[in-house]
Amino acid sequence: MTVEVPLRQKQQTTSAVPVLDRRMVAALLAITVVIGAVAGILRLVLGLGATTNLSDSYSWGIWIGFDFGLIALAGAGFTMAAVGHVLRRHEYHAAVRPAILAGLAAYVAVLLLLVLDLGRPDRFYNFMLFWNPHSPLFEVSWCILLYTGVLVLETSPFFLERLRWRWAGKVIRIVAFIMLPVAILGVTLSTLHQSTLGTLYLNMPYRLHALWYTPLLPLMFFTSAVMAGLSMGAIAYWVAGRVVHKPVQPRVIFGLARIAAVVGLFYLALKLGEVIIAGDIGLALAPTHYAALWWFELLVCVALPAALILLPGKTLQRTGIGLALIIFGVLMNRFDATMFAQILPPGASYSPSLIEWLSTAGILAAAALAWILGVRFLPIFETGEADHHATTE
Amino acid sequence: MNEVMSRRTFLKHAGVGAAVCAAGGLAVQPALASEGTSSANAWGVLVDLTRCNGCDSCALACKQANQRPEEDQIPNQLSSDSYSFVDRRVYVGDAGQEQQMPVKRQCMHCLHPACVSACTVGALTKTPDGPVVYDSSKCIGCRYCQYACPFGVPTYDWANPLGLIHKCQFCISRLDEGEQPACVAGCPTGALRFGTRNDLLAQAHSQIDSNPGRYIDQIYGESELGGTSVLYLSGVPFAAMGLPTLDSQSPSRYAEAVMRKTPVIGLTVAALASGAYWLTKRREFLAQPEVVPQEVNHDR
Ligand code: SF4
Ligand code: SF4
Ligand code: SF4
Repeated sequence: MTVEVPLRQKQQTTSAVPVLDRRMVAALLAITVVIGAVAGILRLVLGLGATTNLSDSYSWGIWIGFDFGLIALAGAGFTMAAVGHVLRRHEYHAAVRPAILAGLAAYVAVLLLLVLDLGRPDRFYNFMLFWNPHSPLFEVSWCILLYTGVLVLETSPFFLERLRWRWAGKVIRIVAFIMLPVAILGVTLSTLHQSTLGTLYLNMPYRLHALWYTPLLPLMFFTSAVMAGLSMGAIAYWVAGRVVHKPVQPRVIFGLARIAAVVGLFYLALKLGEVIIAGDIGLALAPTHYAALWWFELLVCVALPAALILLPGKTLQRTGIGLALIIFGVLMNRFDATMFAQILPPGASYSPSLIEWLSTAGILAAAALAWILGVRFLPIFETGEADHHATTE
Repeated sequence: MNEVMSRRTFLKHAGVGAAVCAAGGLAVQPALASEGTSSANAWGVLVDLTRCNGCDSCALACKQANQRPEEDQIPNQLSSDSYSFVDRRVYVGDAGQEQQMPVKRQCMHCLHPACVSACTVGALTKTPDGPVVYDSSKCIGCRYCQYACPFGVPTYDWANPLGLIHKCQFCISRLDEGEQPACVAGCPTGALRFGTRNDLLAQAHSQIDSNPGRYIDQIYGESELGGTSVLYLSGVPFAAMGLPTLDSQSPSRYAEAVMRKTPVIGLTVAALASGAYWLTKRREFLAQPEVVPQEVNHDR
């Protein structure tokens, strides 16, 4: 039965996404990037007041929302590096490269979004000059910078293997030699900043609604980043297969989804348990938009996908829906913490400006396009049999 | 209502937090980095709301002292153009009578300022003399301080393409010259009083004791957030005056407790990852190095 699924999957792939469509997708993405670049430049020249709908009572908008959400999804990079390089689970080997490349694309997008949001983008480097080690955002800034460096190292073999130059092989061997410590450094930096993004909200006990605010936020942010990262790892592998028109191994997707779902169940218990122990379950039962959002996050985006993934009789399609729901839910959790679950000062309101939307879309499209081109032209997608052990150990 | 709700639940969360911190060895120590080194002589301002007549002199004096534009225009909110303003509140008494209440607002100069703890680059600092000051040359405009401050004090200069944060700095340059803050100097009714925080607290307590009925028995800022340099006396409940009901602990205590553990967390993760690698390698070695080991249970 599991043999039939990939065949059917492959047929669907080739018929549903002909070459022309892929070109159109790429063209659409490219147009979005160009428009987004114009919007971004306008924002940098004209300033936040002129180009955004942000204000003193609603100071962080979709840039920060997508930023923190994207960091969680980019957890694909460190979770899959941990699975592939540190825990050496060879059965998931094929999914490691698409995930790490997605991690790099996402982190570059994160950096761009951050620069757009900064009131003084010309001083983005100040966190290197002036230190406040107690500031979660200080730690996050450093970790993102260093981890992007780690991702460059981790993805360098993909580029080097394409090069036909004589020294490329030597460099590949050097990179392969240091890959393990680099991967461990990446896992460490990621654990730190994924959890510290939760710590960031601990400084806002009077702004973040009690259903979200808990001293356990760092643990919750880390756990949900692992859950989202593994889900993204599975999806990235799946989509990569479509990009290069090659069949995927369903057991890789099923396996990763299964781990993500189990992590999700732990996350569910953590969130639910904390609110019950803190005596806040009444808030979850009150007819507020806070309660609705909170339940949606937990039931639709954690419990339901866990059921879709774990219950017997699974199919690729059902698993895919589950993975997409998990990813959406974690993105939403970051948006809730940043925007919708904030207790706003009276009179505060915000709806993103066109420039905010376009620049965000441009940056996301750029990341997607870069990833697709990478998958298409670099040795990213492996069928699983021919493992490049020399470069990935 | 939200304020009350979030405070109540915050207190309950504190229990969970304490348990977690104890279990994880995260001691929530009272000495927080954001505390600075508040000396016994740290400055304070006592705002006696019962004496304020709402003339707005303080807010205008503040604008002038800080060289803000439109010096004569009375501000109605904190902004990058006005570091202080006189809020208008309507208090409805027990008998249903309405009372107009002016409430002067500005930075509270917290003893444990969350803005200082949060600031990415340490642009905000607590001086030993009490003022929470801002170094505009460091600021990157991330606006985290706006979210950390429980009073919504730091404001951003939105109109400027390279905008910065603006807030009351306790007229630090005037204090250095031995003068009072401009708002205090500009107050004609004596509703604002400048002195050391300790003296002002003592005076406020004796005022409450010797004027029965005039004040409610609470000095806002004595214990809120672990104390603030600006203190308020009022005849009506503070919540009705727009001064939020707050915990008596530093709002940054959990964040700082976790942040202090950063090196420990980092080293632990690195050690665990290395250990996990060593174990898998060893298992592979024991299960014949040529054959890729067949993992049970996880791949189907
Ligand atoms: S009132 Fe706000 S800005 Fe002023 S010291 Fe306290 S936290 Fe900082
Ligand atoms: S906006 Fe400036 S002062 Fe406020 S936290 Fe960021 S760097 Fe610090
Ligand atoms: S201390 Fe100075 S800056 Fe602060 S409110 Fe008074 S006059 Fe304004």
